[in-house]
Amino acid sequence: MQPNKLLKPGLYSATSGDQKGATARLKGGRCRCGYVFFPMQTYGCERCGSHGDALTPCELSAKGTLLAEATVHLHADKNRPAPFTIVKVALDDGPVIRTVLAEDSAPVAPGQRVTGRLAAIGQSDRGETVLDLRFSIAS
Amino acid sequence: MTRSLNELRPVYVVGIGWHRYQNPSETPYVELGLTAIRAALADARIEWPAVESTYVATALLGMASGRPILRHLGATGAPLMHVENASASGSTAFRHACIEVASGISDIALAVGVDKRNPVRRPDTGIGNLAEDAIVPFTHFALLTNEYAVRHNGSTEDIALVAVKNHRNGAKNPNAQRQQERTLDEVLGGKRVSGSLTALQCTPIGEGAAAVIVASEDGIRRLGIDAGRAIRTTASVGRSERVYPPGAGFDAALTKETADLALAQAKLTPKDLDIIELHDAFTVEELHYIESIGLCPEGHGVRMLKDGALDIGGQCAINPSGGLIAMGHPIGPTGIGQIGEIVMQLRGEAGPRQHGGARIGLAHMVGVGAVCYVHILQR
Repeated sequence: MQPNKLLKPGLYSATSGDQKGATARLKGGRCRCGYVFFPMQTYGCERCGSHGDALTPCELSAKGTLLAEATVHLHADKNRPAPFTIVKVALDDGPVIRTVLAEDSAPVAPGQRVTGRLAAIGQSDRGETVLDLRFSIAS
Repeated sequence: MTRSLNELRPVYVVGIGWHRYQNPSETPYVELGLTAIRAALADARIEWPAVESTYVATALLGMASGRPILRHLGATGAPLMHVENASASGSTAFRHACIEVASGISDIALAVGVDKRNPVRRPDTGIGNLAEDAIVPFTHFALLTNEYAVRHNGSTEDIALVAVKNHRNGAKNPNAQRQQERTLDEVLGGKRVSGSLTALQCTPIGEGAAAVIVASEDGIRRLGIDAGRAIRTTASVGRSERVYPPGAGFDAALTKETADLALAQAKLTPKDLDIIELHDAFTVEELHYIESIGLCPEGHGVRMLKDGALDIGGQCAINPSGGLIAMGHPIGPTGIGQIGEIVMQLRGEAGPRQHGGARIGLAHMVGVGAVCYVHILQR
């Protein structure tokens, strides 16, 4: 089987092997003050300003509730050929994130449960399948 | 102890001027800026050497773009600074020109905004993101449009009525980039951009310039400026984004706290406002912001719009200039142009788009980041 490569391994991992279709885990962080954020960073907490050891990595579930969707019809960047759909998701673990809806997902509407999974988006120079996070309706 | 603007010495807008907002052209930015500044000087009936300090608002021209404009007015040696604050650059420049005069450091200051459309370059923070390259501003607001329509059980057609009103206002504004009335069918039938947003519901890409001159009472007396046409700035507030509850729209939350502070500073309530110029880069924003400013409860904006309460001649004229959707949004000039429009309205000099009996106006801008600036002007 072809090896797989995550497009942005600093932001997410797979729950069981980096396989296409696997449910993703998001690499978030938690501050001593209780604030949970995505992605992980050590510059400082947006809520209280604590930094360094006060901020620790915290895996976030990629399950959440859809807040909004928009299908983009016009996009200047050739690396993102339109149309594609952007979703805004309230993660069960707290943060609100925005990313791309899986191309093979059924149409979505606010209030629906969604899950982030790894989807094949192309090939690397070395022939690996490149995987990126995409959301779709929770199964 | 700290003080707000209206606790310092009074500051007045005494001159306003524009270079029309227009589609990108070969016109050099120097010419855009000079046209607006000379118009503002002529409106105030003062000469350039009277200006003691200049704030140049520009987001897209590059470093030190102001002096190549100002040198052609006769180099007086007066101080000059550049202000970049995204869409709120012009509003920020105006605030600091007002603060300089109100503090007593200068009697006459100029805020001028000028821009031509160049690629926007955002800094690399070193923090990764999932897909921000796929979420340009119109998609950010397409998402908010979807949320607003679902939450308030409204239709996207109703939200598009904002564009019909603002194109109607812009058609009467010789400084507007878009000067053509549009029907709802034309607005909805245009090119689809993102979500339910169509091209005529989005601010156009453009260029232009706007200038305002602010003065103290000493300056007005010393230079013999017509005090009857001077409009006082009674509140100035700038804020930046905080952490809001998950899922709360930060643009609206930030607008609410900034507008509340400005209204308190001027000792006014939302009902006192005759005119609002606000950041309607996309139709849904106008509804969000009139609700945040407190004109009506959340979700009631469409009703006011349909009742004509937001029209010129209605309860409170929103974006009589045509707003960002019709007048345009060349970035640096926009917040300064809003001040100019309100001054024109409060003087009673707005001609065919005059809102009768206007005495109090509020100007609002948000900028990515996010920042928010609100000013109140009173006759």
